[in-house]
Amino acid sequence: MTLRRLKTYLVVTILVAFAGVAGVVAAGDEPVLGLDLQGGISIAYEAVGQARPGALDVARDIIEERVNGLGVSQAEITREDRTITVNLPGVSNRDEAARIVGQTGELRFRGVLAVVGPKGQEPEEASTTTSSGAVAPTTTTTTTPPSQEALRAAIKACDTETVSAALAAGEQIPTTSFEDNKRKDCVVLRERESRNRIYLGPTEATGGIVQNANSEFAPGQGYAVNVNFTSEGSVEFDTIAAKYVQQQLAIVLDDRIQSAPVIQEASFQGTAQITGDFTVDEADELAKVINYGALPVRLEKLNTVSLSPTLGRDQLDAGIAAGAIGLILVAGYMLIYYRLLGAVVIAGLLLTGMLTYALITFLGSTVNLALDLAGVTGLIVSIGVAVDSYVVYFERLKDEVRTGKTVRSSVDRGFTRSFRTILAADLVSIIGAAALFFVAAGSVRGFAFFLGLSTFLDLLVGYFFMHPAVSLLARRPALVRMRGVGIAAGLDAPGVQT
Amino acid sequence: MTTTPIVTSRRGFFQTLRDIYHEKTNFDFVGRSWLWAIISGTALLASMAALALSGLNLGIDFEGGSQWQLTVSGKTPAVADVRDVVEEAGALEAKVLLLGDDGVRVQSAELGDKAQARVTEALAEYGQVDAGDVSVTDVGPTWGDRISRKALVALLVFFVLIAIYLTFRFEGKMALAALSAVVHDIIITVGVYAITGFEVTPATVIAFLTILGFSLYDTVVVFDKISENTPTVGAARGDTYSAMVNRSMNSVLMRSLNTSFVALLPVASLLVVGSGFLGAVTIRDFALALFVGLLVGAYSSIFVATPILAWMKEREPRYRALRDRSAAHMARAGVAPAQPSPDDAAEVEPGTMPPAPPRPPGAVAPRPRQQRRKRRR
Repeated sequence: MTLRRLKTYLVVTILVAFAGVAGVVAAGDEPVLGLDLQGGISIAYEAVGQARPGALDVARDIIEERVNGLGVSQAEITREDRTITVNLPGVSNRDEAARIVGQTGELRFRGVLAVVGPKGQEPEEASTTTSSGAVAPTTTTTTTPPSQEALRAAIKACDTETVSAALAAGEQIPTTSFEDNKRKDCVVLRERESRNRIYLGPTEATGGIVQNANSEFAPGQGYAVNVNFTSEGSVEFDTIAAKYVQQQLAIVLDDRIQSAPVIQEASFQGTAQITGDFTVDEADELAKVINYGALPVRLEKLNTVSLSPTLGRDQLDAGIAAGAIGLILVAGYMLIYYRLLGAVVIAGLLLTGMLTYALITFLGSTVNLALDLAGVTGLIVSIGVAVDSYVVYFERLKDEVRTGKTVRSSVDRGFTRSFRTILAADLVSIIGAAALFFVAAGSVRGFAFFLGLSTFLDLLVGYFFMHPAVSLLARRPALVRMRGVGIAAGLDAPGVQT
Repeated sequence: MTTTPIVTSRRGFFQTLRDIYHEKTNFDFVGRSWLWAIISGTALLASMAALALSGLNLGIDFEGGSQWQLTVSGKTPAVADVRDVVEEAGALEAKVLLLGDDGVRVQSAELGDKAQARVTEALAEYGQVDAGDVSVTDVGPTWGDRISRKALVALLVFFVLIAIYLTFRFEGKMALAALSAVVHDIIITVGVYAITGFEVTPATVIAFLTILGFSLYDTVVVFDKISENTPTVGAARGDTYSAMVNRSMNSVLMRSLNTSFVALLPVASLLVVGSGFLGAVTIRDFALALFVGLLVGAYSSIFVATPILAWMKEREPRYRALRDRSAAHMARAGVAPAQPSPDDAAEVEPGTMPPAPPRPPGAVAPRPRQQRRKRRR
């Protein structure tokens, strides 16, 4: 390889590592810590009984909506086959969490009473009204606005007059909370994928009246969702339809209004078709939700873990301490054993460390990748894997030098041959990590990911740093020959020519 | 011509170390297969016996149950006190464990949500900490099966993929030998857990899976050298496949020892720090399995994988012919014929080494490289 190319590799690698770290530091990001390191609650559920295709995804989405409603940042809800795992970092009240997350979501049909509109800047408006009211009290207002408490009660009691009066007066209408969303009460809920809110009447029917639903392309009307009712459900739905002809009937799953179509006829006789400006995905999604409602997925708690933040801190500290001690031991051994070449190992480890930190932090802030204890252990173990590559290369150099070659001429040949070995061995590690990642669950996945990542980085650093660095050092006779500490000394070839 | 000295213990430990460093060793790895077979066989039998007799100490993640863990402040916890506290709160027959100076871990059968909250409160009061500072794990009875099953599937996928890769990169027999060594490592590591009664946790399972990778890493390095040297078999008079394997092993010995040692250093520090730190139990769980597995893995790539490979290859017609020719050559040279034909060892259980008698010193071909070194001086 040409000198120029080697230098480019070296400079680019170092630049990339520094730029990566500088980038995440400048962005103010830090690695996202897993539950076991920062404390929090993790609950695993299993779906009980048979579930329709797609129903488990709907169940997962319901939990996600609820958790977002709780305002938990970095919550992670994952579904693997029939298991749904909910990770809530920083949450400590496990009873409340379990109650909110674990409830089975229900599909409800509710009549539309009034459109409330988005929540938007209402708090601000409210404060300006009060402040202006305080500064310049006017006598034009005849009625004092009802308190939020009273308004909540009015909403619940289906007191349409009070609510519409409040709405007309520009009052802030509170959204019904998850706890207050009872079947028989009137509620204010948000529309799916919009900020719009609607005031809804009591539940007219639940998803139990539905047999199944599917989406199809209806010529002239775009994508449509066909709903088939059960025989009893058909009767029930016709009664509701008669009541809501030319009015909107909302389909609500859990806390979200999925759709609020206008009922066109008084009698449907078992099937209904919902049309609108649906895209394929929207129609599919609605069909999936209605299907879920017909046979909701009941979740059973498999395990609950609540982790104390102080214990997590201890584990993290221990992990960092162990990693530091391990690094120092390895660095010391490499220096004693390979002399000047040992310094290349240390520099390489530092670069790998910087790249790893940058990547983990970046992935943490973009895809919410959390570093858990298994991951920390994986990283510490990977120190060994990384150093192995250097050992394989240097031992190969020793072989070459022993055949009577100069250090300088051995560097490239030795690298070509030893990189094959490193590649073979690292590929075994990567294949293993991939197998674990795709098949195993939970913390095993995290571990596999970090092991695979660091092995991959090891290959890159080996190719773009280790070889160029050694190659450039070997071109300086003084460094090679240096008594006791030079490259030749480290390669067990004190008398070799340069 | 057969005057190359054999390194024996009489040369002294430090001299041997020096020889290893300068790659001047000439250990007869394959010839002493019987010795490794006895060592590994004993370890395998002991492991399986321990597994059958006492079984594994499975943690609550596998058995189901409730577990509390906290760091007590202001006093030194005592097992009896903690037991009183939790029994009063409703956790009967709880297992209480002290971790370090002020760590407490309590395990019991699965409790209802209310009883569990009572125990949490009681422990928090005892330890003078917030209830939120008590870690509570609650595992249903089917959870363990689920993760074990997934780990098993992962293991099978891993084996298949690695077998395919090694067959493609090297050859089928090498893949078989490498995987035999891995199975050997797994059985012995599990055996260590059965014998010592250390708790098996999900962390242990993860560590376990890592070992597989590590064990293979070493084996791949050795096999790479062997496959590089394979074309040279028979180039010299009296050379055999086993002699080539020995040559290769001796030249990668330092590399193997170094990679294993370097991998052990961080794990050893994990083990020490994990045992020393108060709450870092999970770290200790990890490190213990890793440490045992790495040691066994380093041993098996040299003393299990390679002899199995040599034994299998010697049964191939061309290497058998070489061996016969070599034996005839030895006989002519006035040395007793080397080894019996490999067929004598056909009844060997898979996973163990064929019992082969030690070879006379002359069977190892001199290493040309050393001669060159001498000339240079």
